[in-house]
Amino acid sequence: MTQNMDNKPQVKRESKNKIRVDFERTSLKERLKAKYLSSYFAKNVLWYIFRLLLLIGIAFVILKPFYTMIMRSFMEPENFVDATVVNVPRAFSAIIYKSIIVDLEYFKVFFLTLALSLGCALLQTFSCALVGYGLAKFKFRGAKAVFLLVILSLAIPHGTMQSAIFYRFQHLDIFGIFNFLAGGARTGIEGIDNILSKIKILPESFVGGISTIRSVVPILLLSVTGLAFKNGLYIFLLRQFFRGVPDELEESAYLDGANTFRTFVQVILPLSVPMLITVFLFAFCWQWTDDFYIPLFFTGQPPALMTYLPQIDEIPITLATIYTQVTHSSGAYKKAIVYGCGLMTCAPLIILYLFCQRYLVQGIERSGIVG
Amino acid sequence: MTNQVKVTAAAAPVKKKKIPSLDRKKSRAGWLFVLPFIIGLIFIYFPILWESISYSFYNYTSVKGIVTKEFVGFEHYTTAFTGDAKFAQSLLTGLQEMAFDIPAILIFSLFVAVILNQKMVGRAAFRAIFFLPVVVSTGVMESVMSSSYGASGNQMDLGMEEGEEAVEELATSTAIEGLLVSIFSSLGFGTGLVTYISSAVASISGIINRSGVQILIFLAALQSISPAIYESCQIDGATSWETFWKITFPMVSPMILVNAVYTIIDSFTTDSNSVMQLINNTYMGVEAGAKHVSAAMGWMYFLVVLAIVGIVAGIFSMYVFYQRRD
Repeated sequence: MTQNMDNKPQVKRESKNKIRVDFERTSLKERLKAKYLSSYFAKNVLWYIFRLLLLIGIAFVILKPFYTMIMRSFMEPENFVDATVVNVPRAFSAIIYKSIIVDLEYFKVFFLTLALSLGCALLQTFSCALVGYGLAKFKFRGAKAVFLLVILSLAIPHGTMQSAIFYRFQHLDIFGIFNFLAGGARTGIEGIDNILSKIKILPESFVGGISTIRSVVPILLLSVTGLAFKNGLYIFLLRQFFRGVPDELEESAYLDGANTFRTFVQVILPLSVPMLITVFLFAFCWQWTDDFYIPLFFTGQPPALMTYLPQIDEIPITLATIYTQVTHSSGAYKKAIVYGCGLMTCAPLIILYLFCQRYLVQGIERSGIVG
Repeated sequence: MTNQVKVTAAAAPVKKKKIPSLDRKKSRAGWLFVLPFIIGLIFIYFPILWESISYSFYNYTSVKGIVTKEFVGFEHYTTAFTGDAKFAQSLLTGLQEMAFDIPAILIFSLFVAVILNQKMVGRAAFRAIFFLPVVVSTGVMESVMSSSYGASGNQMDLGMEEGEEAVEELATSTAIEGLLVSIFSSLGFGTGLVTYISSAVASISGIINRSGVQILIFLAALQSISPAIYESCQIDGATSWETFWKITFPMVSPMILVNAVYTIIDSFTTDSNSVMQLINNTYMGVEAGAKHVSAAMGWMYFLVVLAIVGIVAGIFSMYVFYQRRD
């Protein structure tokens, strides 16, 4: 009891608005000891170090291929014969990049791809936002079925439907109406077929539908309708996001006399910018690196004006001679060329990503995806 | 009384203007919003599906541009199994790969998301690096990378790679594998677990590159857990281990379901998948009816995976914990 009284801080009033408190403080040494020599602190430090090492390790695994690719694509052809050269080139040369830019007409291809990807990504973001909003905020009969179909469209691999997709866009038609109006419809019965073939409202080229192959029409159609690559995922993400937006916002907009579409455009879209940027980033990048639809729709001879980026991994002409000269390690050199092409393909994406990645995390975080 | 009724009836003619209720208005608006997708389904997607299904049941012969169909029943399906394509074997390997990959990706991405959610030096930089594969690791990059990292993203193809780096890396990876095997078997684990862990380590780069979206989704789920819950846990004296299993895990469990479904769908639709490779190779084949057989394979594969998604979703949704809102 008395001890307690002794340790109790003594308060002295020095002046009108100043007091002085005297108490015995534990010495600095003791305090440091208590803080840093505890098992709690040691555990935290160990966990911190372990965590950091682990993250650095994983980051290394992710970045290592890029490092190898960059280094190898800058090597002189002779370096591949040299056994002492592993990753750091002995002599730098940018010949691979020069030939990619000159021979493969990099910048022309770049701008074509940019235009296509930008257009597709914008269309996809907007139509997925529309569909996602419709599924999130309106209760209507069949909403669940539509949502199920969205997931289904994500789940069916496009690869298995290759020929069907090709056929569909080669003979694009609305339930055979174009075919019918151009006189191409057949029933198998002689008399009716004669009459059918007399119909010539549309020109001959419409028989069997319109061929949209070797144009950007198929990919744009798929984008507008939210059926392009992984659009089901975007619809899902946006639906989850819109479900988290409080209903009161829309209700007040309705009270002020806005219709649903205007509410969507003027109230909902502006506040969902981070999520929209996230979806746009996905759409843009995955459209940019798409190597399924573009080769499918531009099949056969690649049209002269439209060679899109994912296809530039062929060996440039000026490199072909060097390539044959270094026969000893032609495999490694060929791979270096492929690396160069790959880097040139994804360099714009990485630059875009560096600007947008802030929004990527933010958008998903705010999506309130849980629930 | 009767007079009044007549007056109103005269003022408002027989044409009854029915004002739709708000619910009906909203349901109509809902249909308008999903209209683009519905139009796409009806005019593009369903015809494609129908075409693809009929591809697997018919033989198409094209004479002077006029296509004639011939119904052959399940012939293409039986060819898929009896032909030299070895569909059954490849399906089995594919399912094995999937059974291995999916738990590995789920556990890894949850773990990384938990770590990335904690405060530390350079967290923003780590996040930026970890989501890089989301952006670049599709399609083209996969094929470019695979020229050095093999088809499944890990095994070194010695025939292709001539630099010594390949040999060296292969040596270290097998050394690590050997070390792991000896450590775990000396600890008395079963051989099944040991081979699982060692092959998970061997294919770590593939797993890392394919779990970007999953980490993103888990991270979002973790961010949405109220810090108040953690605080009260801490006050009650729970260790971080207990907090993880009692709070974090149940709270993110809906996202485990979402991620499991996404991972299954994603890993079976990528081209690096062995079944998809077989289907693509069959599609490119020169024999008559190769495309039809490939379509048949595709549909069988789709049904199998749909069944797996159904089973997994069913099992998971029994254990998923949904926080009561309000």
